[in-house]
Amino acid sequence: MGRWRRLFSLIVLLTPSYGWLVFAVLAPLGIMFVFSFLSDVPIGERAVFFTLKNYQDFFQNTFYWRLTAKSLLTGLYTTILCILLGYPLALIMAKIIPHRWRTALFMLVIVPFWSNTIVRLYSWAIVLRKGGVLDLFIQWLGFESGSLEILYTYQAVLVGLVHGYLPYMVLTLYIAIDRVENSFLEAAASLGANAWQRFWRILFPLSLPGMISGSILIFIPTIGSFVEPRLLGGRTGTMIGTIIEDQFVQLFKWNFGATLAFLLLVVVLILMALLGLLLRQMRLLRGEGG
Amino acid sequence: MMKYKALVILLLVVLMLSACGGQATPQPLAPVATAESEATAPERFTLRVINWNGYGSDEPFVLEQFGKLYNVKIEHDYINSEEEILTKLRTSPATYDVILPNVAYLRIAMQEGLVEPIDVARLQNWEKLLPRFKDLPELRDEAGAVYGVPWVWGATAIAYNTEKFPNGIDSIQALWDPSNKGQVGIFDSFEDEIVFAGLALGDKTPYQPDDLQAVKQKLLELMDNVKTLWASEDEFNKLFANGDITLGNYWSGAAARAAKMGLPMAFVVPPEGALGWIDTWAIPKDAPHKDIAYKWLDYMISSEFYLTWDNTAGAPAPTTQASLDALAEDHFNRAVMGNPEVLARLVFMETMSPETREEWNRLWEEVKASQ
Amino acid sequence: MKRAIATLAYLYALSMLIFLYGPLMVMIVMGFNRSPFYQLPFHFDLIWFQKLVTNERILVATRNSIVLALAVSLLATFLGTLAAWAMARYRFRGKSFLQVILVPPIAIPWLILAVALLLMFYWLKIPRSLFTLVVGHVGVSLPYVILVMMTRFQGVDWGLEEAARSLGADPLTAFRRIIFPLILPGLIASLMFTFAISFDNFTLSHFLAPQGVSTLPVEIYTSIRKGFTPEINAISAIVFFFSATLVIFSGREIKFVE
Repeated sequence: MGRWRRLFSLIVLLTPSYGWLVFAVLAPLGIMFVFSFLSDVPIGERAVFFTLKNYQDFFQNTFYWRLTAKSLLTGLYTTILCILLGYPLALIMAKIIPHRWRTALFMLVIVPFWSNTIVRLYSWAIVLRKGGVLDLFIQWLGFESGSLEILYTYQAVLVGLVHGYLPYMVLTLYIAIDRVENSFLEAAASLGANAWQRFWRILFPLSLPGMISGSILIFIPTIGSFVEPRLLGGRTGTMIGTIIEDQFVQLFKWNFGATLAFLLLVVVLILMALLGLLLRQMRLLRGEGG
Repeated sequence: MMKYKALVILLLVVLMLSACGGQATPQPLAPVATAESEATAPERFTLRVINWNGYGSDEPFVLEQFGKLYNVKIEHDYINSEEEILTKLRTSPATYDVILPNVAYLRIAMQEGLVEPIDVARLQNWEKLLPRFKDLPELRDEAGAVYGVPWVWGATAIAYNTEKFPNGIDSIQALWDPSNKGQVGIFDSFEDEIVFAGLALGDKTPYQPDDLQAVKQKLLELMDNVKTLWASEDEFNKLFANGDITLGNYWSGAAARAAKMGLPMAFVVPPEGALGWIDTWAIPKDAPHKDIAYKWLDYMISSEFYLTWDNTAGAPAPTTQASLDALAEDHFNRAVMGNPEVLARLVFMETMSPETREEWNRLWEEVKASQ
Repeated sequence: MKRAIATLAYLYALSMLIFLYGPLMVMIVMGFNRSPFYQLPFHFDLIWFQKLVTNERILVATRNSIVLALAVSLLATFLGTLAAWAMARYRFRGKSFLQVILVPPIAIPWLILAVALLLMFYWLKIPRSLFTLVVGHVGVSLPYVILVMMTRFQGVDWGLEEAARSLGADPLTAFRRIIFPLILPGLIASLMFTFAISFDNFTLSHFLAPQGVSTLPVEIYTSIRKGFTPEINAISAIVFFFSATLVIFSGREIKFVE
């Protein structure tokens, strides 16, 4: 019975969501993928033919590469900042905060994001502008350093992105760290492992899946982001995401917009494959060491 | 105990939903209601309109007056760009009754067969339009059939802070002036910026630029002065109100509204010229309710509508003499926009070929990417 | 030493909460500020709340958004959890492929997906409706749920479930008593993430909602083009207070297992 039952279970469990994904996401994206090889959008009576021009356009205009690199770096910075800021918080929530507060705190981390991105970013503008809330706060603390004036700079974009994506890191890390049972850590302590060893040898490796999920959920959307760069970045706010948006909103160049998006996807997949290889290597090294 | 608390939580959810709805029972995803329509008899049908959010035709008084008069419900589908009007018409044929493209996009819609010719004899107010709008060649096809009814018009020129510039601004070069470095906000639109740069270079026909490379160079210089690029009226007003920018290119109607709301803003069409635009009402092909669509067009160009709009919210410049005459002497739309000299300085938006749009857009992308 | 670490930890958590909530507080304060342009100094005024009461469009759109987000989060979390469970519980061929195809939905901007869906429905002759709206929202939410739930399922000791089953528990009981408590944090995170994704989703709603049905993000994004009012801040403040209250209430009730 085992084999058929297993197959049956797999089908019952996987079909609803993957069927949905195929219909609602993968099929339409497939259409867009085809579009990236067409000369125009095939609605109405447009003459449409197969072409590689969209891809050529990307490779012949160096500024598209530059913007892609800028967006990738932005995604990387955002992810790293989210890990640096989010890891301690997740650790504190899972291991230090008293148990009765954990659920509430866990949920409070995400409540701010039940609000509108535009409104949130406008609020950041109020905080970051010259003479804004941040400047007032710094003056209140007693520093006379003048204005930080980071609104409409690249740093402001990073602030907006880190703020918007931090909960993904904190919560996925919490979910991973929380699984590590305290008794396990206590046992390690009784065997003479110091705090650092317990963290590095036990907690950290076990929290890695959370960190990876969190990084995926942060890095990938941020490289295509366009609202944060537009509203906070000022004249430095042009990225590949804003260019893609323009192709769809300002122009009727869906084909080229699709091309840019799929090239970005290819880069993401390559990076993820490299990351996968790296992790495997690390695991092998660890295996040898332990 | 657990059940009791779960009940409290459930109650909170229900309370929240009903509080948001203004009705006692939460009704999932009810269509957006028009102002207090319960008292009247059920509407015959729904008139579907495509327009910008908060752009005259969705003012409560319209829904009230027009809706009552013809016993129809008016539903707006909002757009975020002119391009979206075309997208909506292409993907939802025979759905909408009236749409509001500007003249340039009306041309594209005509070429694609997305709009119907309008029998102007059915519009009582057609003859009241100023000749320069009524006779506009861009509204017509080769056979002379009319496809759009000019509604309001305006300019993209320069808005500035009257406190920072007590003597006013007398040249488009102010945007490039090094003393205004870091204070300029510009509209993130390749068309507007390339036309501006062309005008600043002294080109009288910026839609046929003499030297596109010189235009690019001029835009790169402009970027040195730019604080940020704006994409919406709200964004510009916030930038302006909080001192992030003190001047920039802006829309005439928006500047008038901002001044009305108390911002120290003045608007000038510089001697070098500026960009003009005309918004027109049109009827999509196979519109379901053509008779009412004609009534709508007629109502939209009536002075009654225009003046109420201008009083309640502030409107761009009118297209009829009657509306113009009814405005106060010093009203911006009469004193400045009504001035024939100002009008003569404007370069009106033209329909560009897809190739030109692509070329201009890439140029603008390069300029932005250089930052 | 231990005390010092705990104090530091609390301080850190507090500063992170200030970072997360700072802009939200600013947003709320601006709902009470007289200037429609967020000008400082602050002048207290209830004008935007008064205007909100008569702004039926925004109120109905807000309710639509909440109902939609609730439905989407429940549906996506349920379906996604099933898939994540299958992937964690069984080894099978093609699993890594199933994981990889979660990437495009996250990587490709929603704008592109929204336009593509619009076209696909047009070609399939499916008119825009609540159905098309939910299809899109759940579609983009599913990868988030599957990824989050897989993270949680990876730590589940399936021996426990089997032990319970061998002791005579039926599958449902075994799930309810053993698995459910273990995955509860993941479920809550998924529900909350997907609620946020749907509640703040402009592009999909803008392109896929039926005519005449509006959501809060659509109202906000389309209204900024020709002016915008702090009524939006007022409604955001109200939504925020309700959700925070709700969360604190339920946070005391739902206990994560030790």
